[in-house]
Amino acid sequence: MIRLSSVSKSFDGGLTYAVRELSVEIHDGETLVMLGSSGCGKTTTLKMINRLLEPTSGTIEVDGEDISQRDPVQWRRSIGYAFQGIGLFPHMTVEENVAIVLRLLGWPTAKKRRRATEMLELVGIDPEKFSRRLPDQLSGGQQQRIGVARALAADPEYLLMDEPFGALDALTRDTLQQELLSLKQRLCKTVVFVTHDIFEALTIGDRIAVLHKGELQQVGTSEEVVGRPASPFVRELFEKPAKQLAAFRDVL
Amino acid sequence: MNAEWTSFLVDRLPELWLRVGQHLVLTGVSVAFAILIGVSLGILAGRVSWIRGPIVGAAGVLQTIPSLAMLTLLLALLQRIGAVPAILALTLYALLPIVRNTITGLGGVSREVVEAARGVGMSRWQELRLVRLPLALPVIVAGIRTAAVAGVGIATLSAFIGAGGLGQFINRGLALADTRLILLGAIPAALLALLVDFALGATNWALDPRRKTGSRTRTKMATRMAAIILPFLIFATGGFGYVRARPDITIGSKNFTEQIILGHMMALLIEDHTNLKVDRRFNLGGTMICHGALVHGEIDLYAEYTGTGLTAVLGQEPSADPDQVYKTVSREYRDRFDVQWLDPFGMNNTYSITVLQADAERYGWDKVSDLESWAKGLHAGFPGEFVERPDGYPGFQNAYRFEFGQVSDIDAGLMYDAIANGEVDVIAAFATDGRIAAYNLRPLVDDRRFFPPYHAAPVVRTTTLRQYPQVRDALEKIAGALDDRSMRKLNGWVDQERRSPESVAKAFLRSKGLLKGMQKR
Repeated sequence: MIRLSSVSKSFDGGLTYAVRELSVEIHDGETLVMLGSSGCGKTTTLKMINRLLEPTSGTIEVDGEDISQRDPVQWRRSIGYAFQGIGLFPHMTVEENVAIVLRLLGWPTAKKRRRATEMLELVGIDPEKFSRRLPDQLSGGQQQRIGVARALAADPEYLLMDEPFGALDALTRDTLQQELLSLKQRLCKTVVFVTHDIFEALTIGDRIAVLHKGELQQVGTSEEVVGRPASPFVRELFEKPAKQLAAFRDVL
Repeated sequence: MNAEWTSFLVDRLPELWLRVGQHLVLTGVSVAFAILIGVSLGILAGRVSWIRGPIVGAAGVLQTIPSLAMLTLLLALLQRIGAVPAILALTLYALLPIVRNTITGLGGVSREVVEAARGVGMSRWQELRLVRLPLALPVIVAGIRTAAVAGVGIATLSAFIGAGGLGQFINRGLALADTRLILLGAIPAALLALLVDFALGATNWALDPRRKTGSRTRTKMATRMAAIILPFLIFATGGFGYVRARPDITIGSKNFTEQIILGHMMALLIEDHTNLKVDRRFNLGGTMICHGALVHGEIDLYAEYTGTGLTAVLGQEPSADPDQVYKTVSREYRDRFDVQWLDPFGMNNTYSITVLQADAERYGWDKVSDLESWAKGLHAGFPGEFVERPDGYPGFQNAYRFEFGQVSDIDAGLMYDAIANGEVDVIAAFATDGRIAAYNLRPLVDDRRFFPPYHAAPVVRTTTLRQYPQVRDALEKIAGALDDRSMRKLNGWVDQERRSPESVAKAFLRSKGLLKGMQKR
């Protein structure tokens, strides 16, 4: 379980806050989606969990232990991270990219290979065909799958995903979302998933945390946030696409 | 013409290989150092942002120092000639492009990729080694390429301080005004630069991380490996010949014709009368470079002039008494530098009041004092230095108690033509200049013994003489055998008739019966 308690982050010494007084719990085995428009502090929160950023105040605990006490490099290796804009290493082959965390953890070569092949099969990439290619030689969807495979390779308990499907076309995104859902059920990971896409949030999230201007508006299941919005912002957030959907249905 | 060129080339082919090898070692070693230092500095500058400005600035300033000034400066600082100061200078020049490209290359890696590297749990060192450096490599290698190609060019100057290389031919060509020799250095240097450029271009191609493809066939891998190894191969093969040659005796010379002829004479005598292996490191910059090289054991001997030793090296007042000067330099050199003056060759390359042979005959001039009654009507052309120095014209007036009607400052190289063309009547010639004979000039006898003696003699390290006593025996064979007239003739053969200094030296030694073996080398 990951628990954030009154976490704040300011990049300008306290004048403005990217995240302010955020308290939220992520339960084991659930997928928590952080939903909000750009600049709402969702990526900052994810980076703080990964310790790419340190909170200005507040604590983040994992299973009751404050992560600021941990060695940041070791901590990052123990969690999976799928990056916004993919973040594959362009000079490494698909296989090397997938196995990078295993390499950092010092796995023997044969074991790394086997695991990378497994991971590629898991995300639906043919290892025979693709494992020796460079990321540039793959389509956007394929690259995104490799990113997920890399995040999963070391079998981490926690998985952080930062708009992993943001740059993809609607069809590919839909496919990947469905695949992620089935993966989630098979692998039983605790996932923090960041997105600005309401439908993606509703599809993937067990619970949804709505963020606005660095502050948590509401956290709850999709029924709760849609049915009983806690603030006018949350209500508007879900009403607008609902109206759009209605209009779309009328056209049909 | 063609046959002449062919034989010129064939004669010099072995030396050409040696010089190419030296050139590659100079460039290769200095670029290797510059890579080590430059890439480290570049990495450091990427990490500690405030030192970036000073590092790039300092490297930039180093590059603006004129090459010759840099070499001379390092020579003075390190107190030695040869490859060490040359390699240091070349290293400093190579730094800028490598540092700059390392900084640019490392900084050019996208933020996204760097963040991913950190996010997956790389330490800073791993981030550098696994991600930043491989991605920056093409840019860094491009910097190395720039540095190496420029280095091949600048390395030609290192011959000036006795580091060898292709510049040796260029220097010799300039000293002897021989275009063929200049080209023999310049053309291979240009070709070498192209070759190095191509080789490093190939390496860059092979190292580009984005050129890895799915199909890694054996031939492709082999090509890639070859492209990486190519420059090393070039530097290594060239360097082999350089390291292999280990001479017993190294002979130096200053950078003008007479010195080169004397150098060859000493080398030929040692080669002929002993079985020692001789290395000729001629055309060193000047007196202080030769002297420094001798004292520090980079050369074992060279030919020095007594007057020069007294004034330029020991810093003493000039003196007109040849025996006293010789005694003084012998004693001081032995005590202060552990260097021995051997017996002089015979010729005295001092200033000499010189007139046209025709005038001398017509007016019966033989000694300098014979000019006294004519002096008012004579036009003298003297080098600026001679007009000013106390042991020049001012002292001359004191000693001889007369002055010339008109005195013009004139360049030392031009005064011979000036008197031959009748523009002046009297010049202060150098007593052994080849043009004295060629232009039918007549040096007058210094009957008041005013001009300080500049007798040439071999100066040899004492330790060398102790180790190889036969060197003294070989060199003393020529003692006193080379008078001013002969030296003028030999200088003239090289300067006016374009014969090679070595052949001139050999012809003289043979005519005196000083060479045992008559076989051609």
